[in-house]
Amino acid sequence: MLGLVAAACSGTSSAGSAATSTLTVFAASSLTAAFNQIGPGFTAANPGITVTFNFGSSTDLAAQIQSEGTADVFASASGIAMDSVEGDPGVTDRSVFATNRLVVITPPDDPAGIASIADLAKSGVQLVLAAKGVPVGDYARQALTSAGILQAAMQNVVSNEDDDASVVAKVTSGEADAGIVYTSDVVAAGNAVRSVTIPPAVNVVASYPIAVVGSTQSQAGTSFLDYVMGSKGQATLKDFGFGPAG
Amino acid sequence: MALASLGAAFVLLPVVALFVRAPWSRLGGALSGVGASTALRLSLEVSLAATAISVAVGVPLAWTLARGEFPGRNLLRAAVILPIVLPPVVGGVGLLVALGRSGMVGRWLHDALGIQLTFTTAGAVVATTFVSMPLVVLATEAGLRGLDRRYEQAAAAMGGSPWYVFRRVTLPMVAPQLAAGAVLTWARALGEFGATITFAGNLAGRTQTMPLAVFEARQIDPGGAIVLSLILVVVSVSVLVALGGRLTGLR
Repeated sequence: MLGLVAAACSGTSSAGSAATSTLTVFAASSLTAAFNQIGPGFTAANPGITVTFNFGSSTDLAAQIQSEGTADVFASASGIAMDSVEGDPGVTDRSVFATNRLVVITPPDDPAGIASIADLAKSGVQLVLAAKGVPVGDYARQALTSAGILQAAMQNVVSNEDDDASVVAKVTSGEADAGIVYTSDVVAAGNAVRSVTIPPAVNVVASYPIAVVGSTQSQAGTSFLDYVMGSKGQATLKDFGFGPAG
Repeated sequence: MALASLGAAFVLLPVVALFVRAPWSRLGGALSGVGASTALRLSLEVSLAATAISVAVGVPLAWTLARGEFPGRNLLRAAVILPIVLPPVVGGVGLLVALGRSGMVGRWLHDALGIQLTFTTAGAVVATTFVSMPLVVLATEAGLRGLDRRYEQAAAAMGGSPWYVFRRVTLPMVAPQLAAGAVLTWARALGEFGATITFAGNLAGRTQTMPLAVFEARQIDPGGAIVLSLILVVVSVSVLVALGGRLTGLR
């Protein structure tokens, strides 16, 4: 570990040498699968730069970036989390690199008979959402409001989870009847969940902003942004259920 | 001495930092904003229920471990201690596949009896008991092993029934260890987080105990999270100090 840090330091001080540098990317947990594939792809395209990821709730990551300042790049699931760090020194190149939509998920055997988002208001449905303040939790409440069933649906909420992955876990285990997560979560969960589409008029499009947040590695950080925005990065994101930036 | 100071400082520093960073100016607002009283009441209810169940089931278990002669006793003891070693989230996952609505036993509970533990206060008690019971079992077993059995033999020789001997001789003699174990169990129960959120979920008023409320408050209101943490610190320390000398025999 120390060796790696030393190598990273020498890498930046003696430009052009074969030494490797390490780029630290903080990313929303919904990006885990996609970014774990993008990381090696980026290193293959940019020899000498390895990427380490720290995945978590965007809100938590923003707070960590402000208090610790150890991140080089921040990929957030919400504009609000990015807003909170944007004014800090060294934060540059903000742009939207992906979009995500919401979807209702149920266990494969659909114990509560959910055919549309409106069914989440039926009495007795055990609904799990991400907590308020977590981007996907806020978006879900927004969609329920647009569908005109916020109050009835909130009566059915049996648990407020920390992130989308925890919502998926409660549904795949068969404990909850339904949850609201991102379409990208459904791709990751595969056959373990059944998904029910939310119509565009009610759905929320989550924009994922990315930015360079540390000045020490800004060049490598910009390269990473370019890779994510480029054709290879975008193709990988599409494979994992994300929509294009535009 | 220097090492002792270092140890004390290490333990105290996070607590001091909580006090320093607490949003004192808006304490009242933060208190009401994050539903502190609901979470605190639930925390006390869940931790006390878990402690009561742990004592009721754990003392017979401790007696079996200390006195029973049967094959696999050491294995049973290891199994009883396991929840202390396991990450609580692993305990939560285990409870989910055992007692969840689609779990091994839970499926039957749900289909035959209409009982669902997940997402209920009872589920939070189950998860908390699972994690905290080993402490009272271990303490009581140690007490039973350290007991001079001649007192029990004398009582039995004078005609006391086994139940009478247990109640009037054994139990009073292990009372200090049992009480110390019960206090540790309660303290562990009050801080329980991982198994509870994994098995019982997180809903204010039903399964959201103080540690879960702190966890959720971080997302919306970091100052509120500090206030909730402080309440938990104050309640825990008050009870431990009050009980520490009188009941537990730790001193």
